[in-house]
Amino acid sequence: MTLLIYGIINSVILALYALGFSLCYGISGIANFAHGAFYILSGFVAWNFMNAAGLPFYLAAVLAVAVTGLLGFLFYWALLLRIRGVPLAELIVTFAAGVGMLELLMWRGFYGMRYSLPLFVRGGVEIGPVAVDYQRLCVLTTGVVLVVLLWFFVHHTRIGLAFRAMAQNERTALSIGVESDWIGSLSLALGSALAAVAAMVVLPLGMMESAIGLEVLIYALAVAIVGGLESTVGMVAGSFIIGFGQVAVARYISAKWMIIAPLAAIVLVLVIKPSGLFGKFKELEERV
Amino acid sequence: MKKHLFVTALAVLFVSGPIFFPVGDALAAEPVIIGVPTSLYTPFGSYGLKAVELAVEEINAQGGVTVGDEKRPFKVVVADTRGGEPGTPVHDALMAYEKLITSEKPHAIVIGAFRSEVLIAAMDLVAKYKVPHLGTIAQTPRFQAQFKSDPAKYKYLFRVTTDALVDANYIAHTLDLLKTDYGLNKILYIYQDTLWAEAFAGLMRKHCGETGWTEVGYEPYAAGASDFSPAFSKAKENQAQVLAMVWDVPLGAGVFAKQYVAMKVPALLIGFIPPMGSPMAVKAVGPEVEYSITVEFPVGATLALAKLPKTGEFLDKFARKYGELPEPPAVNSSAYDAVFVLAQAIERAGSLDPDKLVTALEQTDYRGVSGRIRFDENHVMVFGETSPDETGVCVVFQWQKGSDGQLKRVPVYPAFLAEGPIQLPPWMKK
Repeated sequence: MTLLIYGIINSVILALYALGFSLCYGISGIANFAHGAFYILSGFVAWNFMNAAGLPFYLAAVLAVAVTGLLGFLFYWALLLRIRGVPLAELIVTFAAGVGMLELLMWRGFYGMRYSLPLFVRGGVEIGPVAVDYQRLCVLTTGVVLVVLLWFFVHHTRIGLAFRAMAQNERTALSIGVESDWIGSLSLALGSALAAVAAMVVLPLGMMESAIGLEVLIYALAVAIVGGLESTVGMVAGSFIIGFGQVAVARYISAKWMIIAPLAAIVLVLVIKPSGLFGKFKELEERV
Repeated sequence: MKKHLFVTALAVLFVSGPIFFPVGDALAAEPVIIGVPTSLYTPFGSYGLKAVELAVEEINAQGGVTVGDEKRPFKVVVADTRGGEPGTPVHDALMAYEKLITSEKPHAIVIGAFRSEVLIAAMDLVAKYKVPHLGTIAQTPRFQAQFKSDPAKYKYLFRVTTDALVDANYIAHTLDLLKTDYGLNKILYIYQDTLWAEAFAGLMRKHCGETGWTEVGYEPYAAGASDFSPAFSKAKENQAQVLAMVWDVPLGAGVFAKQYVAMKVPALLIGFIPPMGSPMAVKAVGPEVEYSITVEFPVGATLALAKLPKTGEFLDKFARKYGELPEPPAVNSSAYDAVFVLAQAIERAGSLDPDKLVTALEQTDYRGVSGRIRFDENHVMVFGETSPDETGVCVVFQWQKGSDGQLKRVPVYPAFLAEGPIQLPPWMKK
């Protein structure tokens, strides 16, 4: 029972880490390696809104999501516009910018054990013999709601449809009036904002420090590689494979090998199906 | 005549200058360089450096350190090894060490490596360059083992703080109290899979095995872990009464503390748990920190003890200079003491020659914030549990509710520092 409940919760946390990364790549083809940095940056922005400006947590969280989304938007126009379409350059620039952001946070003193965001609600419930806190239930709910909202967004709104058009064929989308750079920058904004939403619900589970940014990036990459870089279904599947894998390893082998689960999953998938379990981009090449 | 008078006055001024202006003279002299290669983006490193700078400021205000017949100021040079951050390879940290030694040419090193793995690797480097090294962070007992393998080679290395076994002994003896006073006897261990934590947990395990505790789990977790539900579930299923935890990486420690509260594990929490030990724990973790027990090593790192006034004096000076108190995990009292130990050794040696300095350091007998500082045959500071007049000491404290309803950290072990007995949570009382 514990394995089931905490397996689901851990999987949803991984899905939240990866959602923005996967969405951004799926739409614009940009692998945003600064994703983890945006995640932890939003946490510190919220912390500052609370502790420097005295705002209540919920307002600070909403503002942090908005600020992070805006930064993602500006990130595209400032750094990615000129190298758009050159994947290696995009990767290098986003990674360098992400490391730069994390270094900046550390330089400003954001490390150690003094930074944390408050829980939404204190306390918890017993599900059978297993105690689960309300915060983890909030994580679970947020994960489900976000996936549903995103599905609605990309299927039933004009911008969402433009996103899908870009994802399916950029040149055709351009020919029917979809502006590539606007959609690219909006995808960065949305991906960064999603990272921030994940941060607002997951960070209260522990302490905040800058190094978390790298960990989030690694997990987002692992999930995306296992599931398929551009596939939302794959992202969810990848999260559950790794999430349950980690809990099972801790339960039946040893907790110190938990970190092996995502790495083993990556190696296995790359050997068996390099485009990921639900990936399409390289499927034809693989068949050939 | 006038000319003679003028020349005489000048000569008198020249000769008496150092008497009237000793500080200025010392500060004008060639500085004695203290190298601090450590991991600055950690509380250990950053607060340790602040403590070193505080000590240096005090010594320089007194005119500096006497080297032979000359007063010379201390100067601190710093290199960030990043060794405490996950993902920093040992050789990167070593490169920072070596660069500091070769480019800044320090006369001695204070604080040093954060991660034990870096310390062990740095021992050869320090021996090669013959720089007296007063380490105050890395805690692995493997230091002594390596030292013993070639004392002549490693003689430049000293440890001016605890090793993990000292802290573990304090916790082990607190567990004895829980057993004898409250009849608790089922324990589950959780520890970070690193050298020092493994040694810490191993000693607790050995001690409890010999004193009749029933072990229901021994769980190493990778240092990057962020979910402890498997261990907590195991503790609940096996009805553990005590959870012994050893961890220092902020992310895992924070998640652990909050998840322990969230999963309502009906076991008393004890060990080395920085978020629980922090003065800010009530805000950061929540009021559920009540009853948790943690060790501070050595004394004076973050908690002012009524029975050891030097701890309060040091923390007051720290707060006055920096506008904040150090937060755990910190060994800043050790770093502070180490500078005075070095200063006294330089004065005893009358020289900055590394070999003479090592001989003088071996003769150390200094009463600092962390207790009496002397080194054993392995160049490790001697710690005990009976008196700060005899050895260095640590303290175990518990979060308890005071008469005003506020949670505070109450020293509970050793007896000569205790300000109250251990309290058992109401849900554990039979």
